[in-house]
Amino acid sequence: MTEKKIAAAGKGLGTAAARGGRIRIPTLFYAVALLFVVGLVFSLGNGNFITGYNLSTIISYAILLLLVGLGQMCAVLVGGIDLSVGGVMSFVSVSFVIVVQVIGYWAYPLFILVGVLVGYLNGILLTRIRIPSFIATLGTGGIFMSLAMIVAPVPVNVPTPKWGYLDIFNGTFLGMSNVVFIGLLVFLFYFAILRFTATGRNIYYVGSNIRMSWMSGINIARTRNLAFILSGTGAALAGIMVSAVQYGCNPYVGSSYILPSVAAVVVGGTALTGGTGGVFNTLFGALIMSVLQNGMNVVGVDQYFQQSILGMMIIVSVALTFDRSKTPVIK
Amino acid sequence: MNDIGSSTNPEITLAMTGVSKVFPGVVALDKVDFSLRAREIVGLVGENGAGKSTLMKILIGVSQPDEGTISRDGTQISPKDPTDAIRHGIGMVFQEGTLVPNLSIMRNLFLCHEPGFQKMGFLSRREMRKAASRLMEEVKVVADVETPISDVSPAERQMVEIARLLWLSRLYGQKCPVLILDEPTTVLNDGERTILFDILRTIKKEASVILISHRLQEIVENTDRIVVLKDGKNVTELPSSHAHISEIEQLMVGHTFSADRYREDEQTPAGGEEILRVENLGRRGAFEPISFVVRKGEIVSLVGLVGSGKEELCQCINGLENAETGSVFLNGKKMLMGSPNGAVRAGIGHIPIDRRNDGLALGMSVAENVNLLVMNRLTYAGFVSPSRERKNARAWVDECRIKTPSLGTMCANLSGGNQQKTVIAKWLSSRVSLLILDHPTRGVDVGAKEEIFRLIRKLAREGIAMLIMSDTLEEDIGLSNRMLIMKDGRFVKEVSCPPGKKPGPRDIIDAIV
Repeated sequence: MTEKKIAAAGKGLGTAAARGGRIRIPTLFYAVALLFVVGLVFSLGNGNFITGYNLSTIISYAILLLLVGLGQMCAVLVGGIDLSVGGVMSFVSVSFVIVVQVIGYWAYPLFILVGVLVGYLNGILLTRIRIPSFIATLGTGGIFMSLAMIVAPVPVNVPTPKWGYLDIFNGTFLGMSNVVFIGLLVFLFYFAILRFTATGRNIYYVGSNIRMSWMSGINIARTRNLAFILSGTGAALAGIMVSAVQYGCNPYVGSSYILPSVAAVVVGGTALTGGTGGVFNTLFGALIMSVLQNGMNVVGVDQYFQQSILGMMIIVSVALTFDRSKTPVIK
Repeated sequence: MNDIGSSTNPEITLAMTGVSKVFPGVVALDKVDFSLRAREIVGLVGENGAGKSTLMKILIGVSQPDEGTISRDGTQISPKDPTDAIRHGIGMVFQEGTLVPNLSIMRNLFLCHEPGFQKMGFLSRREMRKAASRLMEEVKVVADVETPISDVSPAERQMVEIARLLWLSRLYGQKCPVLILDEPTTVLNDGERTILFDILRTIKKEASVILISHRLQEIVENTDRIVVLKDGKNVTELPSSHAHISEIEQLMVGHTFSADRYREDEQTPAGGEEILRVENLGRRGAFEPISFVVRKGEIVSLVGLVGSGKEELCQCINGLENAETGSVFLNGKKMLMGSPNGAVRAGIGHIPIDRRNDGLALGMSVAENVNLLVMNRLTYAGFVSPSRERKNARAWVDECRIKTPSLGTMCANLSGGNQQKTVIAKWLSSRVSLLILDHPTRGVDVGAKEEIFRLIRKLAREGIAMLIMSDTLEEDIGLSNRMLIMKDGRFVKEVSCPPGKKPGPRDIIDAIV
């Protein structure tokens, strides 16, 4: 008999599928443990791993990944995915470099707004035009990736006289780079929205059970739009940061953040099916990904082999967190 | 049970013995015996939740019994999925239909079993056409076999499904296929219904049929034997030739009618204040324009069979569907139609029939589920306050007596009854003025039922108006102040149910059927 038939029968039964759901593990605990194990392995593998210089490299990459990841997490929590983060990051970073020379500090709010608007566009494509977020964001991501290259076909730099505008990112405070504090600030912002606002909480309800949420009067479209706006904002913030710390950037910068951002989210323990997970998961997910990426270089894992390790990480984390009861037929 | 239940009888082609199935918090089947002779049509009847569907799902391998055995022509079988069941010649025609709409009749008939038509590695279209036409003749379908399923009538689709099951049984060399038809006539008109039963009588020459239907008339007229289930247990079985509809109804509903159970003495008279006013609300194909009023603290029960339109009526009131005519007023204010959001804002709560999928976020905690509707009220200086969240959840968990290890326990880990109480708590905390209860005691055990009845009484005392659809007529009569009886989309009769002077089920059955 066809799979459809079985699925239909299973749906009628309801309970069996729901009971055979996800393995419940305290995912955050696993993420923290994993971070320690990975860190320990690399420290033993090469003494240079734990030096101050290398740690700051790890942290600065982790913070960039955290910014994209926090946004990505919102899209994932609501049951979608945002593949446009790479395009948005590229577009924002190169345009920021060009525009900041002209309008100075106003470039910061302007490009955060760009992130908001692109996120809103993604949201509209999902909620109004009803295109699955996977496809919609793949499309918008492609558009912005190409816009980035039209804006700046070659790497662009902020000339030295204008570096002052970027001091916000490059200064230090209490002996630590400002980047750390900005990362912390953004982290707290996402934490507050998801934990302490009713609209943010709706992201979890919608991701957990969209039909129930609709029947309970939650504004589904608004909630999903908000999730994608938060996602676009994260990508834009990362785009601004990457340009600011490097005093310039190339138009391809974002493309290397698409998969790692999804990986940071799922490795941290946020379920790809939506509804469970959170900012702390993504924080540790970003740290794990950064430690892995850096550590594999430090201990000399073959460049060609590194991708496959990241791939395996994604598969294993999703296998542990994916809620199969929500999708009777896995596509 | 008499001799026909014994599996040694050579005439018995299928026997289920002592089958039990327990779902979390509820016993769906309790040592049920069921047997089917070769070339026999058996009617399986019982109220919603009596266990008919569960029994049939076990038969076709969708769920596995916790206890009990199934034997087919004397050998024991345990179907593990529908594919496996059809190898034993057991197949089911589902209510909702399971054909692929964009494929032709022919492709659907032989779906996944095409290799039999291969000639030198290629599918022979001619052979398939020939076989398909022959099958369609058997079930009296005239449409061309190349017609896509989406273009044929519901009746013909059913025939295609039946033909497919017959063909598959033959393919697997089963001499006496067992066909299960779940409410086959709900989608058919009178003419199609007659044709269906004509065909079933023809099929009977080589197959056995289990017929599930709420229309007792057609069960009595078209079956050889009737098996009655109630609360997951065998009640009785009787030959159709001697059966009377009213007698079967009695058996389904049960004899005991306890005023005690429904806390009749606590029934409050309806207040004067109008909470819900429905004016000429209608939706084509579902129910004809209807008007009624529900007053403060009043429990009004909507009674009718599947297809009577009561479900659709409720869906229009709580905004899941949009009505075509008429309007709904809540507390005197005209309500925005066709939007659950509008209904919730107006103060309508809805306890859905499928609480696992429609009522709860199973992966979230009890507290989060209870607080869902009031999150924006549990704030301090604009931010959701964790301590107020905890306080609100704790208060309602205590109020509704939800048995949970902690507020943070995932709802998926609660029993059916406690899940239901969580759904009720969620709506109560948002201070609704009208609560629509769609089969509130479906799939919960006896103890939890009592608790839910207690809650319902308490809500009525506090002035909440309620619109109820129940699993059993007994429950409807016991709980409600008033019953509105619907039949075939029309409002038929209003029956008042004052405490102490409740009507008996028999008085109402006539109006329903």
